[in-house]
Amino acid sequence: MDNYIKDRKIEADEWMPFTGLEDGSSLPSGDIYVPLEEWMQAREMLLARNGRLGVALRNTDDPGIIKDDLERLDLIVLEFPKMADGRAFSQARILRERYGFQGEIRATGDVLHDQLFYMQRCGINGYELRADQNPANSLKAFDEMTVTYQPAADEEFPIWRREPKSI
Amino acid sequence: MALQVYTASLLKEGLVAYLCLENGRPSWTFDISQATAGHDEELDALKLAAERSEQDNIVVAPYAIEVLETDSGIMATTKREQIRASGPTITLPQDKIRESRRAA
Amino acid sequence: MYQYSEQDHQLLLERVAQFRGQVERRVKGELSEEEFKHQRLRNGLYLQLHAYMLRVAIPYGLLSSDQMRTLAHIARKYDKGYGHFSTRQNIQYNWPKLEDVPDILDDLAKVEMHAIQTSGNCIRNTTSDPLAGVARDEIEDPRPYCELIRQWSTFHPEFNFLPRKFKIAVSGATQDRAAVAVHDIGLRLVRNDTGETGFEVHVGGGLGRTPMIGKVIRPFLPKQHMLTYLEAILRVYNMLGRRDNIYKARIKILVHETGEDNFREMVEAEWEKIKKGGLHLRDEDFEWIKKFFLDPEYEELSDRDGEFENLLLTNAEFARWVDKNIELHKQPGYRIVYLSLKTAHQPPGDVTADQMDAIADLADKYSLGQIRSTHRQNLVLSDVRLKDLPALWGELKALDLATPNYNHVTDIISCPGLDYCALATARSIPISQAITQRFDDYDFVNDLGDVSINISGCINACGHHHVANIGILGVNKKGVEVYQMTLGGSAREDAAIGKIIGPAFEADEIVDAVSDVLSVYLENREDPEETFLMTYRRLGDAPFKERLYG
Repeated sequence: MDNYIKDRKIEADEWMPFTGLEDGSSLPSGDIYVPLEEWMQAREMLLARNGRLGVALRNTDDPGIIKDDLERLDLIVLEFPKMADGRAFSQARILRERYGFQGEIRATGDVLHDQLFYMQRCGINGYELRADQNPANSLKAFDEMTVTYQPAADEEFPIWRREPKSI
Repeated sequence: MALQVYTASLLKEGLVAYLCLENGRPSWTFDISQATAGHDEELDALKLAAERSEQDNIVVAPYAIEVLETDSGIMATTKREQIRASGPTITLPQDKIRESRRAA
Repeated sequence: MYQYSEQDHQLLLERVAQFRGQVERRVKGELSEEEFKHQRLRNGLYLQLHAYMLRVAIPYGLLSSDQMRTLAHIARKYDKGYGHFSTRQNIQYNWPKLEDVPDILDDLAKVEMHAIQTSGNCIRNTTSDPLAGVARDEIEDPRPYCELIRQWSTFHPEFNFLPRKFKIAVSGATQDRAAVAVHDIGLRLVRNDTGETGFEVHVGGGLGRTPMIGKVIRPFLPKQHMLTYLEAILRVYNMLGRRDNIYKARIKILVHETGEDNFREMVEAEWEKIKKGGLHLRDEDFEWIKKFFLDPEYEELSDRDGEFENLLLTNAEFARWVDKNIELHKQPGYRIVYLSLKTAHQPPGDVTADQMDAIADLADKYSLGQIRSTHRQNLVLSDVRLKDLPALWGELKALDLATPNYNHVTDIISCPGLDYCALATARSIPISQAITQRFDDYDFVNDLGDVSINISGCINACGHHHVANIGILGVNKKGVEVYQMTLGGSAREDAAIGKIIGPAFEADEIVDAVSDVLSVYLENREDPEETFLMTYRRLGDAPFKERLYG
């Protein structure tokens, strides 16, 4: 998939979304991510598999639900169902800053050029750009702004507590 | 259906404009009395042209409004559209007026 | 006032460049209108009834004379020669072209101004007391706190796509001149028993179609926790505020539906987790920010002046102006001067480019080069020497900025209404002008005393009609503009939402209705010290209803 950006680079996406765990025999191999409910229901079965695991949260889910599972997960998928719906910004910060999640936090849905800067600051580092976006142009969005005022996933302190950057 | 014209805001200027359709060629005018008015199926062509202008990034959010044909030309029927067509109903603040009043 | 660092400048330049790019992408069709709208709104750019409208922030209402000159320059070069001061310490231009807006923003950036977050579902311009730093009833200057909030909220990555717009006001005095009770968050500086200053935290106030007075969710928040507490409130709101219905998306609805106690518990639980984080404010942070707002070097002056007192005795017009538009200053020999933007000739809050330039010159000449804008759409020169008042009055009169009506019946707040606004359902400016013309009599205005009239041209209540003593709401009833009246509102420390008095009036009846209401007050007040609001609260609706509809 060439509309995928990871750590500010256009990359091939190795992850497969997966649902339908009722039928336990058909677990695929490779890196998969599942909806939160399926993770809750079939955690052991999923962990017994080889291959990396991810969980997809709805933007109404409390990220605290999976805080004890984070060490076993390599990907958390967040949703931006509409550009204007910014709940997942809070989820991302909580996952990174409160629970110290080290894996990929991925934005899906209405992922557009003009949100990338904010997403990155909240700790999101994987982006499934909406199909109509131009990924090469979108890479520029990360550097459109270089000055930040407040702490977030990328800065511990507000600007008045940092050493001034040379400009 | 009542007589209607299409109106929108020009993307670059933001100003109010009305659709004219002559021999299938669309253009946008500031003057409502120059707009092409239509009934019923005539509106389909206007709608199509307005939407094309929106796709071409000439106008924003076109919509149809009801109008009346009067002796002085086409007139919008609602207060809102009348104000859109002719501008604010108040005197705009202006330095020249102020100066002339001061001189008087 | 706050002086930009290199990084502050850099940030503005980057934002202008980014917006220039967004405009280019829109014009080329790479950005749809729907998506561009979110971006332009976050830069204060609306598409209104006749044209684009650009809203420029005046952070906590403070302007330098050079900034005012730039505002005049923009009015002249890119607009129709005037601007409109809003109720939230912004200035609005009604006619800019989309392609000029990046250039306007460039000009603004040169004087440390911008339109960042003046619209959109994000944290808006933080507003404050226009008398900050000079008021006699001040507990502490709120501006350093406002500036910290400005920096914290500017491009906050987590809170840029909130359920709905979010407005914060800070007041540092015992009198509330910033309408904190009708903001999403209102912070009132208070002192606790040990003399420490902190904030009384009000949450969930707001106007619009469901007007509410904010709830005090914390009576005393030590000031070092100001930003962590704000962050906790915003996070709870961002995650739980309703997004299914635009009319229920403000934080006031969340507070209301969750219940004040539950809401407080959620905020406090979140706050416990972040209160020691990077936003915790240290003594040195306050020291740093307060340096920008130190008192100017006031002259040691007598609080009496011969020429001033002489003119007061010999010139009735001057005496009226002093009585109405001058307020005492904390420093002897200085006065605070209100510049009335309320005349019968211009819409409330409107100022022409020449007036702006002249005001800038007057600020330099008489008031240490600064101007403030107020919640009631007036301007303030905050540091005028008593002995300069006669000269200043003469100059203001020539500019039509000396109408003696501050906080009186013709000091009307009015939204732009259907003359400009795409959302409006009725006109408000013509009504405000008709009322002003009807009551254009100083003795009558003076006799009525302290009374507020606010007018909104639709249910969104930008004219704050709910919190006026006499509120007027224009609505469209079967194609006709009609005006509903509310009585008994207040935006001050005794904040209250007015009550609808009865069926709406036609445009040609509303001025008479206001006149009737004022007559009922004059006939029923116990003495001239009893204000309109006091009389209304004592008597209730009945005598007013009786006169209007009986």
